[in-house]
Amino acid sequence: MKNNYVKLGEFTTLELMAVCGARAIKNGEVVFVGTGLPMIAAMLAKRTHAPKAKIVYEAGFIDSNAKDIALSIADSRLGYRASAAIGLIETLGLMLQGGHVDVGFVGAAQIDEYGNINTTYIGSFENPTVRLPGSGGGNDIISSAKRIIVIMTHEKRKMVKKLDYLTSPGFLDGPGAREKAGLLGGGPSLVVTNLCQMDFDPQTKRIRLATVHPGVTVQDVKENSGFDFIIPEHVPTTELPTYDELNILRAIDPHGIYIPRPDQTK
Amino acid sequence: MVEAEVEDKRITLKEAAKLINDGAHLFWGGFGFQRPPMALAHELVRQKKRNLTIYTCGSEMDIDILSGAYVVSRFELAFYAIEGIGLAPNIQRRIREGAVQIEDYTNLAMALRFLGGALGVPFMPLKSMLGTDLLAKTRFRSKKAEVITCPFTGEKVVLVPSVRPDFSIVHVSRVDMEGNAQIDGIKGEDVEGARAGKKVIVLAEEIVDTELIRSQPDQTAIPNIYVDYVVESPWGAYPMMVYNYYDYDMEHVRMYYQQCKTEEGWQKYCEEYITSVEDHTEFLKKIGMERLMKLKAKKPFPY
Repeated sequence: MKNNYVKLGEFTTLELMAVCGARAIKNGEVVFVGTGLPMIAAMLAKRTHAPKAKIVYEAGFIDSNAKDIALSIADSRLGYRASAAIGLIETLGLMLQGGHVDVGFVGAAQIDEYGNINTTYIGSFENPTVRLPGSGGGNDIISSAKRIIVIMTHEKRKMVKKLDYLTSPGFLDGPGAREKAGLLGGGPSLVVTNLCQMDFDPQTKRIRLATVHPGVTVQDVKENSGFDFIIPEHVPTTELPTYDELNILRAIDPHGIYIPRPDQTK
Repeated sequence: MVEAEVEDKRITLKEAAKLINDGAHLFWGGFGFQRPPMALAHELVRQKKRNLTIYTCGSEMDIDILSGAYVVSRFELAFYAIEGIGLAPNIQRRIREGAVQIEDYTNLAMALRFLGGALGVPFMPLKSMLGTDLLAKTRFRSKKAEVITCPFTGEKVVLVPSVRPDFSIVHVSRVDMEGNAQIDGIKGEDVEGARAGKKVIVLAEEIVDTELIRSQPDQTAIPNIYVDYVVESPWGAYPMMVYNYYDYDMEHVRMYYQQCKTEEGWQKYCEEYITSVEDHTEFLKKIGMERLMKLKAKKPFPY
């Protein structure tokens, strides 16, 4: 069954993104996730290759086994078959800063080539054109989790040379910068977009193309990026979802709240 | 044996709002869609309070309403939005007008600031915010945070100032009349926040006999020693949710979001659902029993 891949045209880009995110979670890991795509991807990982992964939500739900889709990070739905319901000092303080979180899984409005993230302001700090939701626990998670998966849409205005505001620390300005700043966590490891997957070069800490999604070219990624990125000699195509993955994913979000199926329009 | 007389700290929602003077600083409880003190937010709007400062981790429609009605002029917080829908519409507008200012922290930073206030120490250390604009950029505080080198280990640590607001406001599951409060489900930052305020007002879905509290004391999140006032506030978080009590009313929240995209739409919402009704009971009557009953938690599920 392992290579029972779906065919092109049988899945949406959002579904592929969720599958990419899920595959990045290893069995047994403690995963700190936000709502939206990260939540769906983590739920998919748990129901496929990573049943022993433990999902933690910052509002206080620990080892959640939600059966229904939540809209809020504090949604009572996340309490279903959780092992504990505590609070922020527990999740972000004792558990995360205390060093127990393997993966942080987040979204971003803007990201730069060192994986620094903006979720606070578009425009200047003094006169912002848009005030985004802010850090929430994002800065805490990205500061202290052992590694970070980012999931976001790939647009020139989002993959930028310079962030409007640096909310959460990637590799800051390069090698050694996180350590010098005093940060505990390992920083970003994977960026999943609607065009490709990107990782970070271990030496320079700069963002690097890892795979392109089916039908996407390296040139497409270049044209939709505002920053320069490392392009390895060989860039494989992203592994397709399997029928198992796709069927389970569609059962997780049957009404298409976060991931509408091809036949569902929001 | 002499039975101790049970102290009665109950006041009405109106009386609670009256205690809060213009310019007061508040810890504002609830997290995301869970247990926001919505009924008190409405009452503060009705009583035309002005110039409040709110400290919270992440809040949503409740603080958007307080911003829209010019009740709050300053926030120190980590997050606001209408999750799953979009950006909070009124706050966007009030920021552009210059009527609302936000000092940005992280959720852990805010939770620790409340813990610091509750502990009676002037600051708390943490390992977030390092290397970012959260440290580099300050909106209105004279000092927002400070990086120090730990005197014991030499590592870098961020210090954030503790918060001791005039009032702590929390909406809980149940409380007895002397103020022993129990919270079902996640507690967010309410355990620390409720202990940080100089005066503490506990609003609750139900006021229960103290015998219930004392038969399950392990469930008590806020002992009466901290609590000054108790307010019975059933459906007090509607249209948001209370664990084990009721689900959110997304239809209402979506209507709010759509309508508040324009100032006129917000004014209409505010008049229809807040200022033209006498109190929270009248608001709930407007929503209707049938609609509320559909939202009641279906046990054993907490929603």
